[in-house]
Amino acid sequence: MLRLLLRSTVTLVLSALGGSLVIFLLLRALGGDIATSILGVSADPASVAALGAELGLDRPWAVQYLDWLAGFAQGDLGRSYGLRYDIAEVIGNRIGVTLSLAFFAMVIAAALALFFGSYSAINAHRRRGGLVSAATQLGLAVPTFWVGLMMISVFSIQLGWLPSGEYVPWTESLWGAVRSLLMPVLALSIPLTAIFTRYVRSAMLDVLEEDFMRTARAKGRTLHGAIGVHGIRNASISLVTVGVMQLGVLIAGTVVIERVFSLPGLGDLVVSAIGSREVLVVQSTVFVILLIILCLNFLMDISYGLLDPRIRDAEREASHV
Amino acid sequence: MSDSATRSGNRRRLPVALRVGAALLSVFVGMALVSLVWTPSSSEGIDVAARLAPPGSEGHILGTDRLGRDVLTQIMSGARNSLMVSVVATLAALIPGLALGLLVVAGSSRWQFVMSRVVDLGVALPGILVALVLATAIGPGNVAAMAAIAVWFVPILARLMIGPARQILAYDYVEAAYAYGRSRWFVLMRHVLPNIRSLIIVQVTIMFSLAINVEAALSYLGVGAQRPTPSWGRMLYEGQPFIQDAPHLMIYPGLAITLTVLAYNLVGDGMRTWFDPQQKAKAVAR
Repeated sequence: MLRLLLRSTVTLVLSALGGSLVIFLLLRALGGDIATSILGVSADPASVAALGAELGLDRPWAVQYLDWLAGFAQGDLGRSYGLRYDIAEVIGNRIGVTLSLAFFAMVIAAALALFFGSYSAINAHRRRGGLVSAATQLGLAVPTFWVGLMMISVFSIQLGWLPSGEYVPWTESLWGAVRSLLMPVLALSIPLTAIFTRYVRSAMLDVLEEDFMRTARAKGRTLHGAIGVHGIRNASISLVTVGVMQLGVLIAGTVVIERVFSLPGLGDLVVSAIGSREVLVVQSTVFVILLIILCLNFLMDISYGLLDPRIRDAEREASHV
Repeated sequence: MSDSATRSGNRRRLPVALRVGAALLSVFVGMALVSLVWTPSSSEGIDVAARLAPPGSEGHILGTDRLGRDVLTQIMSGARNSLMVSVVATLAALIPGLALGLLVVAGSSRWQFVMSRVVDLGVALPGILVALVLATAIGPGNVAAMAAIAVWFVPILARLMIGPARQILAYDYVEAAYAYGRSRWFVLMRHVLPNIRSLIIVQVTIMFSLAINVEAALSYLGVGAQRPTPSWGRMLYEGQPFIQDAPHLMIYPGLAITLTVLAYNLVGDGMRTWFDPQQKAKAVAR
C-alpha cells in the first residue's frame, strides 16, 4: 500500500511538472512576443521593451518558468498582463463553479447509467433493451453545448421554468444555485450517461452469467434482488474505471457548457482570456484544470488500491521483479 | 472468418448499423461535394431585407440568419469544413500515434512501464484544453483546431494499440520469427501491425466522429474556424443571440452535427461487429 502511495505521488508530481513545462513552452515558443501582441504591431519598440521589462518577459525562459512554478507553490499566480487582476484570486472565485458542474454531472450520469445499463442487460434480447442501446447512440452523438442551447430555448424561453445566464452562488441561495446549475449539469451528463450505460450493460451481461448469480437465485432471490445486491456492486467497479477515463472529457465539456450558460467558471475564464490575449491567465488556468484532472486520477489510483486487494497484490508482486 | 464465409459463397450480410451509418454519412459527404460546385445561394450572400426569415420562406428552405444569409447554404458548406477538419486531423495523428504505440511495446518492460505512464498523461489531456492553449499561442482558426485535435489523438491511438500489440507479441509465431533471426522491428511491422488492422480502422472512424464534435465545440467557443470559413459550430454561436426569435438558427446546425457524428459512430460500431461477430452482443464504445 505504501509502495502504491509512493508510486502514485511520484507519478502525480512528474505528470504535473511535465504538463506545466509543455503548457509554458507551447505558449512561449509558438506565441511570439507577448508585449508586442498586447500593444499591437505598430507600437514603438521602446514602449514594447519597457512593457516586456515591467512584466518580466525580458528574463530567460528558464527563469520565467521557475518563477511561475515557485509562485504557484506559494499560491501566487501573478497578475494578468492586460487588466492587472490577481489571477489566483479569480481562479479561487471560479473553481467552485467548474467543480460543482463536473461533480454533479458525474454523479447523475453514474446513477442513470447503473439503472439504464442494468435494464438494458436484463432485456438484452427484447425490443426495450435495444431501445436503450439506440438511445445511447444518440446520447454519444449529440453535442453537449447544443443540448444546452436547446434546453435554454425550451425551458427558459418557451416555458420560462428555469433561469439562464444568471448564476447564483451556493453561499447565497441553495435553491437558486440548484436552479441555475440544473440545465448545465443535465446537458453535461448526457454523453457521460451514454458512455457509462454501455459499460454497465457490458459488465452486467458478464455478471448475469456468473455462478454467484445462479447461487443467489437458487437461494431464493428474485432476479432483481440478485442484481440489486450482487450485480450493481460488480458493475460499479467497471464504472469507476470508465469514470476516470472520462474525466478529461467531462472537464472539457464544462469549459464549453460554461460559455453556453454564461457561468463564471474556469472554462469561461480561459476562453475570454484567449480573446484578450491574456497569456499568463491561459497558462495558469489551463494548468489548474490539468492539476484537477491529475489529482482526481491520483485519488482514483489510491482508492483502487483500497477497494481491490488484487491491485495491492499486483503491486507487491511487481516490486519483487 | 469473413474470408471463409465469402469463399463458401455464403456472403454475410453487412450489419444494420453499418448500412444505416454509411447511408447517413453519404448524405453529408454528398452535401459537402455538391457545395463545391453549387449552393442555393452564395455563402456570403448578405441580404438584409430577408434577415431572420423563417424556414420555408421563398428561396430559403431552411430560412436565413441575422444578415439574411441562407442557412441551407451554410449547412452545406459547413459539412465541407467539418469533414475536412476531421479527416485531416485524424490522418495527421495516424502515423505518429501508431509509431508511438510501437515504440512503447518495442522496449524493455521497465521502458514499457514508464512510456505507458507518459501515454496515460497524454490521454488525460482533453482535446479542448490543448486547443485553447494552441489558439492562444498561434491564434484562433482551423489550423489551431486541427493541430490540437491531432495532438490529442496521438496518445489515444497509442494507448489503444498497446494492449493488443502486447498480446500478439506473446504468440508462438512471434517467438518463431525471433528464432528465425527476425528483428524486433520486422516483427512489429510484419506481425503486429497487420493483426491490429481492424482495430485501427474502427478507431479511425470513431476519431472522425470525435473530431467533428470537438471542431464544432471549438468553433462555437470562437477558437475554431473564422469567417469566411463556413462552420456549424460558429453558426450556433452566431445564432445564440436570436434564440428567442429565430430558433431555426439553432436547430439545423445542431442536427447536422448530431447526425454526422451519429453516422460515423454507426459505421464504426457496424465495422466492429463485422470484424468481430462474437463481440456483437456486448460491444463497448471507445
